[in-house]
Amino acid sequence: MQHQPPGLADRFLQFFCAPHLLEEVQGDLHEEFEYQVERVGIRRARWRYWRDVLGFLQPRYIKRKPSQYPQTYLFSLNMIRNYFKIAYRNLQRNKAYAFINVLGLALSMTCGILIFTLVNYHLSFDNFHKNSDRIYRIVTEMHMENVSYDRGVPAPLGQVVRNEHSFGEKTARIATVTDRLIILKKGSELIKLKEPEGIAFTEPSFFDIFNYPLLQGNKNTVLVEPNTAILTQKMAKKYFGDENPIGKEFWLENRIVFTVTGILKDLPPNTDRKTEIYVSYPTLKSYNSWLASDDSWGGVDDAMQCFTLLRPNVSATQAENAMAPYPKKYRPSSKNVHHYKLQPLSDIHFSTLYDGPMDKQNLWILSIIGFFLIITACVNFINLATAQALKRSKEVGVRKVLGGFKGQLFGQFITETAIISAISVVIAILLSFLILPYANDFFDAQMSLNLFSDSQLSLFIVALGVIVTFFAGSYPGLILAGFQPVIALKGKLSHQTIGGFNTRRALIVTQFAISQVLIIGMVVVIRQMQYAKQSDLGFDKDAIVMVQVGADSTDIKMKSLKHDLSTIAGVEKISLCRAAPSSGNIWTNTIRFDNQTEQVNFGTNMKAGDEAYLSTFDLELVAGRNLFPSDSVKEFLVNETFTRKLNFSSPQEAIGKVIAANGGSMRGPIVGIIKDFHDLSFHAEINAVALTTNKDDYSNYAIKLTMATAKTTLNAIEKAWTAKFPDQIFEYEFLDESIAQFYETEERFLKLMTLFSIIAIFIGCLGLYGLVSFMATQKTKEIGIRKVLGSSLAQILWIFGKEFARLIVVAFLVAAPIAWWFMNQWLQDFKFHITIQPWIFVVAIAITLFVATLTVIYEATKAALVNPVKSLKSE
Amino acid sequence: MKRTYLGEFEEIVLLAVAVLNGQAYGVLLMHEIIEQTDRSVRLNQVHSALQRLEEKGMVRSEMGEPTNERGGRRKRLFSVTAFGQRTLHEIQEVRASFWQRLTPTLKFSV
Repeated sequence: MQHQPPGLADRFLQFFCAPHLLEEVQGDLHEEFEYQVERVGIRRARWRYWRDVLGFLQPRYIKRKPSQYPQTYLFSLNMIRNYFKIAYRNLQRNKAYAFINVLGLALSMTCGILIFTLVNYHLSFDNFHKNSDRIYRIVTEMHMENVSYDRGVPAPLGQVVRNEHSFGEKTARIATVTDRLIILKKGSELIKLKEPEGIAFTEPSFFDIFNYPLLQGNKNTVLVEPNTAILTQKMAKKYFGDENPIGKEFWLENRIVFTVTGILKDLPPNTDRKTEIYVSYPTLKSYNSWLASDDSWGGVDDAMQCFTLLRPNVSATQAENAMAPYPKKYRPSSKNVHHYKLQPLSDIHFSTLYDGPMDKQNLWILSIIGFFLIITACVNFINLATAQALKRSKEVGVRKVLGGFKGQLFGQFITETAIISAISVVIAILLSFLILPYANDFFDAQMSLNLFSDSQLSLFIVALGVIVTFFAGSYPGLILAGFQPVIALKGKLSHQTIGGFNTRRALIVTQFAISQVLIIGMVVVIRQMQYAKQSDLGFDKDAIVMVQVGADSTDIKMKSLKHDLSTIAGVEKISLCRAAPSSGNIWTNTIRFDNQTEQVNFGTNMKAGDEAYLSTFDLELVAGRNLFPSDSVKEFLVNETFTRKLNFSSPQEAIGKVIAANGGSMRGPIVGIIKDFHDLSFHAEINAVALTTNKDDYSNYAIKLTMATAKTTLNAIEKAWTAKFPDQIFEYEFLDESIAQFYETEERFLKLMTLFSIIAIFIGCLGLYGLVSFMATQKTKEIGIRKVLGSSLAQILWIFGKEFARLIVVAFLVAAPIAWWFMNQWLQDFKFHITIQPWIFVVAIAITLFVATLTVIYEATKAALVNPVKSLKSE
Repeated sequence: MKRTYLGEFEEIVLLAVAVLNGQAYGVLLMHEIIEQTDRSVRLNQVHSALQRLEEKGMVRSEMGEPTNERGGRRKRLFSVTAFGQRTLHEIQEVRASFWQRLTPTLKFSV
């Protein structure tokens, strides 16, 4: 035959045509092809061949002839029902095994689901604005001794950018003041509300840049007139109930009245903008005239932020270059050199430099932890399942003899895994729902689990179930399905054929290494926290309560209240001051020293307090004397660091030198040197500090209480305070608690670490349990023989003990340097920190050994107690 | 009258099988029919008709010897069963009786 019909068509025919018809059909087709080649030529014959083949694509030719033997299908309904039944019975029989597997998988899946939700939540932040790739925040880099970063800008910058440049399509300033008192007046009654998210003085174009839709009010006129405001729906409801809020009034700190002119749609949970009250920008003048003024280039308040929507085709660098001359032009003499930078909107949520709420790195770490937890749970499942495999060798043998294919047996075991993972998924979903409120609390988030409306989440859960099923089920399934029926039925299978003992060991080592890293980390963090909170800060922080001075206090009111308070029983000492020695409320200033014209090159932490400040906080003087009572800046106290930074060999020498701070408005000689104290958290070095008297700067009463009667004393303080300021809310804070807040992130980190180390140990123990049950079955004969030859129980237990002790020690050797490195790195965040001591490592390995022993002891004892007659009889 | 009905194409195929007298198979039948009726017939139609006829019991088939031109594949050879023959006769009879009654008028009209 010279001419061949098209091969593809032929193969296609062979594929679809029923085997019993293929021979005649194909024969006819080939014969016809030969004939057509003669008649019309090869090319057209081939076309015809295709046409003819396709002609046979009909049910009549596709339908297979029923065979006279019953066929085995990979997926027959009866068999699948049988798989479920057998799976159910198996789980019933090995309840402990099933329980451990389900628990391990469910736990790790719960972590997986929650971490997925968290990561998704954070990635979705502010993703709903139009042109979000063109929205930038203008931020400030400050180059002094060190570079520091501030998310705020000098207030006039926004106006200048708008007037002098065209790179921004829209530019908006927004000054947000948080934790403010809002007052509603219903008749003569005052309703006082503290708004932690505060209010924002906003330029109208802010709402052109960002997509926060206005429901009521005219977009073109809201926020233009002074003393106008817009509220979110939620806020309007809170303030005015069901009444129409438009035209209603509210007061900010009983000073400024606002009329509501518009209603904003409620803010979505995934935005960094939490403020729900927006007031017109011109009103800022009456609230904070310095911030509102057009020449307040002197300082940066991070309340004042500036956003810009770049024109298309303008790059951030171009805009930054355009702003580059400003610092020279507007702050020519300052040693604090500003650089104005553009920060993309997508970076704001994650930026660590500019106080973004979430570090992207943390999300990665969490994802990796979640991934690791799921993988280990799967691997533990594999361990346990292969340890169990021998018990089912007879079943596999019988199934194979009765005609079961490898594929079918594999299908059966996958079904069993699928059941376990399905149960785990269900439990994990329930657990996630239960834990979600706590997780939200913990991460300060507003996540929600919408199984049905959130397609990503439901897809993730389904994928999780399927992947876990195949990852965990494939290996045991293949091993079981691969048994030789003869050997399986004879009972000659041994664990050597299952193998993988070393893999298991490696796994346990990894799991325990990770647990130990976490434990060591945990202990280090706990120690550092104790150190930070309990060591001497250089001042007294116990039993001191900080009470705010009322917002509109006059000097007389302030002083008479101080007098009233000092007469209350239980008040030991009282001082009027700006802030405590260590406080989050920092006021840094670059001073001029000793009548020099140049500013010094370091920042000074400015403190203001009256003559009782030293005694109230129990600060120590190393030289000179205390401040004399005064209402204005007369004299200064500085700390040792201050004198050291100015290169005085002894503190004594600095006394008498003149300081000029705040651009020269605060001037006076140094009269005393305070012993160094921690003016910031342990993260930071001790700053140069200057303390002076100035009544305009006082905003707190620091009150030292007698702790025994603290409660009644506080009540009395509140009464005295409210009598003076009836339109304000009395608030107080214990100093030690506010200092503890410096370490909030660390506390959170610690909690998370504790949680994960518990989970990691737990999953590690599941792995251990898998290994010990595997060993127990493997060594049944060995133990029998040893017992016959006279081994004691302790000696047999040591066979197990030796194995596990060795694994844990190896894990420890891996973990210790890693943990040391990581925690050392972590401690570098603190300028004052502990050193990692050897006992911490001892604690870690002791805990692990203890938990491991608890896990292993039961199975091991059970194996050791088996009667040798029983274990040796069966062969 | 109780008998299985034949479609027009089936009838032609059955006739062709009868004519070819035991040597009938797919391609040959197709060519035969094309030649006789001058219409375009496709192989799958012939095969389908043969299958239907076999299901109705009017033809029977057996595999022939392997042949060279078909790459060693065997032909399925068809022959008409007694039932098939009777059916053909019956069809012819029915047609003849109609023709008989029709003949005079036709003659006159022609």
